[in-house]
Amino acid sequence: MKKFLAMLLALAMVFSLAACSGNGGKKTGGADDIADTMTSEDGKYQVAFITDVGQLKDKSFNQGTFDGVKLYAANNGKSYKYYQPSGGDQATDDDRYDAMKFAVEGGAEVVVCAGFMQGAALERAAKEFPDTKFIFIDGWSLGLDNVVGIAFNEHECGYFAGYAAVKEGYTKLGFSGGGGGTNDACQRYGYGYVQGANAAAAEMGVTVDINFSWEYGASFSASPELQSMISGWYEQGTEVVFACGGSMFQSITAAASANDGKVIGVDVDQSSQSDTVITSAMKGLSDAAQWAIAKAYDGTWNEIGNSAVSLGAKDGATGLPTDTWSLKNYAAKDYEKQFKDVVDGKLVIDSDFTKLNQDWSNVNLNII
Amino acid sequence: MTFLIQQTLLYAVPLMIVALAGVFAERSGIINLALEGIMIFGAFVGVLFVRLMQGTGLFSGSRNWLAMQALELLAMLVAAALGALFSLLLSFASVNLRADQTIGGTALNLMAPALVLFLIRIIANQNTLGMSEGDAASWFMIKKSTFGIDSSTNLGFLGETFLHKIYLATYVCIILFVVLSILLYKTRFGLRLRSCGENPQAADSLGINVYKMRYAGTTISGALAGMGGFVYALTTANCASTGDVAGFGFLALAVMIFGNWKPLNIAGAAALFGLFKCIAASYASIDINGDGVFMLKELGISGHLYRMLPYVITLVVLAFTSKKSRAPKAEGIPYDKGQR
Repeated sequence: MKKFLAMLLALAMVFSLAACSGNGGKKTGGADDIADTMTSEDGKYQVAFITDVGQLKDKSFNQGTFDGVKLYAANNGKSYKYYQPSGGDQATDDDRYDAMKFAVEGGAEVVVCAGFMQGAALERAAKEFPDTKFIFIDGWSLGLDNVVGIAFNEHECGYFAGYAAVKEGYTKLGFSGGGGGTNDACQRYGYGYVQGANAAAAEMGVTVDINFSWEYGASFSASPELQSMISGWYEQGTEVVFACGGSMFQSITAAASANDGKVIGVDVDQSSQSDTVITSAMKGLSDAAQWAIAKAYDGTWNEIGNSAVSLGAKDGATGLPTDTWSLKNYAAKDYEKQFKDVVDGKLVIDSDFTKLNQDWSNVNLNII
Repeated sequence: MTFLIQQTLLYAVPLMIVALAGVFAERSGIINLALEGIMIFGAFVGVLFVRLMQGTGLFSGSRNWLAMQALELLAMLVAAALGALFSLLLSFASVNLRADQTIGGTALNLMAPALVLFLIRIIANQNTLGMSEGDAASWFMIKKSTFGIDSSTNLGFLGETFLHKIYLATYVCIILFVVLSILLYKTRFGLRLRSCGENPQAADSLGINVYKMRYAGTTISGALAGMGGFVYALTTANCASTGDVAGFGFLALAVMIFGNWKPLNIAGAAALFGLFKCIAASYASIDINGDGVFMLKELGISGHLYRMLPYVITLVVLAFTSKKSRAPKAEGIPYDKGQR
């Protein structure tokens, strides 16, 4: 009996190991063709990427930034590696600092750090390793020569998305944001979204309802509770929800397809992830990362070191995806016209998200 | 109301079936603390199976809903089988080696998330294993459109609640729950199993093989917990495995104790927890009597309070009922033939 059991257990182990040998997931086109992990000959990795909370393959923020790292490295013959701070969603500043230290000790010349939460750890690491260049995505200037902060005008693409949704004919909107309302980037997205919806509603002479929530998004991850909450929204008539935060997208699209609702993606064009996506508020993470890494290697780093770069529509860094345009009542050319207005400065979108809770002329804002 | 019932079922059914898993083990005399671990493992195996089947391309063409439902049932079976296999570790330790069952169960609880995360990282290069394409609702959910009924047709209250936007898995679990409860209380096998949890010496003296019965109880327990884990992942977590089932295994233990190791009480207890879980997540969009007023939100109570409810209720309910609770007498005591 004992022998039989031992055999059975051994078999179970073999089976479970065999089961994972198949490498799932199809890869097509662009950055997805480049492997996430590579092995360099000398064991050194020149370009390092430190992930934000959430997953590397979140099909959004982390993945979009890492795509830039991979593309630059592949096109320029550099070795690259990603580091995920230990502690997962509860990662502390120490965890992030350790990840950066590993990266530098692993031979990193440029370290790309994604997410505003890395600030404190980044300051410590950048002071300790002045010869390494750090790129702080969604960040600000730290007053150090070897750090550049790159921020985006998320309020612009949020505005485009909100405007497009209302122009398309939706009058019941939702916004589910990550970071628990402490993440500036997500707050700008949300504020821009409401402004855009309000502007479109005013033009059309309608009133729009918006459910606006930071609940269940503190760690940007998918959760059953988030799925329940969003299901409830759709059930009560909400037509489209802006899924503003990495892996939260999974919960929101699941709720949307259960209730035949629609979703607006974030950071990258997410239309290939789900049939429910009508458009995405994009920011040029991949391009920005490539641009800044290139600066580190071509000797022009001092142009951007010790500064904060803010990228927006005029840099082609914010916008909606026109290649996969699926809106019917609002044409891509109308969007392009609006986009041009923003580039030319004819249309200025406010970025001060503290003014979110004001009396909107054509929006009933329901903050949950 | 429809929404409330549907969401409550989604949370209650995995709890109910996993609590029944606990009953089977404990009624045979083995404390199965490993419910959480087995759920995590079952969820992983089920999701992996779905993913691998998607990878074969068999389902990519026409989305035949019968094939989808068959895939769902198969995945449940696979999760149950591997859950049973995983639970053999516990049976072996506690029946053959006469080890402390609490420690054995805890060991499995510690091992499962670590093992699952390790494997997920190898397979998917991240901490979450999801479906390789689409989402759980578009693949597995049964809706009006599945049967070709126009989505604007009203099926009436019962039809809207129990035939639209539901998962087959939910009903399979409910049927299994009823069948297994009958098995435990109305059959010879059930009686023998229960006697091993009350007085194994007496059972043995009447020619019942206590070891075999305990193996049977724990294996059924493992199968149910594994399946429950997958059903949880499928219906509430968009068919994704993260090495975590949000403590549902432990909550199921609480439900089992609250339900006094009796199936009917367990079903009630699970429904209660499910209801509060649902209220916590979506209090702002629950319209109880259908008049368009969201009463819970209108009350003006802080949302944090609603979110605390499931846990507060667990505490309160256990505090008041644990006095009356009566565990199987011989649970947790390794059976030793020589000791009479």
